[in-house]
Amino acid sequence: MITKNKLKKGVLILFAAFLLMQFIPKKYNESGQIEKTDIFKIYKAPQTVQNKIKTSCYDCHSNHTKYPWYNKIQPIALFLENHINEGKEELNFSEFGNYSKRKKKSKLKSIRSQIEKNEMPLKTYTFIHKEAILSKNDKTEILQWMDRILKDL
Amino acid sequence: MKKIIYVLAVVLLVVSSCKEKKTTNKKLNQVQNEVKEHNHGDHEHGSKSEVKMTDIKQNKTRNIATTPILNTYFQIKNALVESNKTEAAKEAKLLLTAFNKLDTAKLNESKRKEYKEIVENAMEQAEHIIKSPIEHQREHFEVLSEDITDLITLLGTEKTIYLDFCPMANNNKGAYWLSEIKEIKNPYFGEKMPTCGSIKKQIN
Repeated sequence: MITKNKLKKGVLILFAAFLLMQFIPKKYNESGQIEKTDIFKIYKAPQTVQNKIKTSCYDCHSNHTKYPWYNKIQPIALFLENHINEGKEELNFSEFGNYSKRKKKSKLKSIRSQIEKNEMPLKTYTFIHKEAILSKNDKTEILQWMDRILKDL
Repeated sequence: MKKIIYVLAVVLLVVSSCKEKKTTNKKLNQVQNEVKEHNHGDHEHGSKSEVKMTDIKQNKTRNIATTPILNTYFQIKNALVESNKTEAAKEAKLLLTAFNKLDTAKLNESKRKEYKEIVENAMEQAEHIIKSPIEHQREHFEVLSEDITDLITLLGTEKTIYLDFCPMANNNKGAYWLSEIKEIKNPYFGEKMPTCGSIKKQIN
């Protein structure tokens, strides 16, 4: 039997836990300066392509996340942190220059195909970040740029 | 009330332990970054020796060490020919083991560097084959095929193998694969186009 008293206690505990969670330190994925190994330091790209990729991909695939306001709240911040770490492990545009030629090539191929098939940026991401949606023109421009790099690699 | 105090204590403990973990993580990251920066120079150097698929040179070494890798690769290929996603994933897992077992002690320095890059990339492809739907498996198999071909060029093999090419695969850009049989069995399309392709080269 759940008495009113017990219920009250439960809610109180949950609330206290939530409050305390706010003390969990947040680790920000913001390295400050653009790395020497950033993909745009290695390969020349039209400004439009640079801007588009930075808006649509860099939050999870670089050392430079632009955080939304709700990152102030735990446990959302923890969730985002994990998500970003996963994304960076798969592909990090800030460290692209550190990749071997072989890895650069296979990463570019994967990026290319995922953009072409609308698998990236993730639907769950573009649902909130409308500005990250790639239009048909954006995609063509990005893919053409990637093909140029791939041809020289 | 007692309960509340207990809970608060536990949460506080968790919070403080999290903090510690974060700082060590940070330190680790720093070290890793330094190591990466340090390695940066030779990376570029090593990639120059990369061999293109089209001008494969035959390596005459009859190396038996690469056999387990090749055999597992062929199993992945055959699973893809039959559009069997589960089987392909299972074999990709075995490929990881085969790579880990390969003894590289005898390789000289420059070879070991290229070897490392090939294996690193190939294992990443294998990991994707393990967790992806079949269309993705095929994409990663294409990259894997390139890696395995380069590995054979680098280390040699005792087996007789064929380098096959299908001009329609990879969105009509064409894709290679290695086969243990002369007959063309295309891993890129499954039942849709099982015999597209031709032998480009025979090794051994």
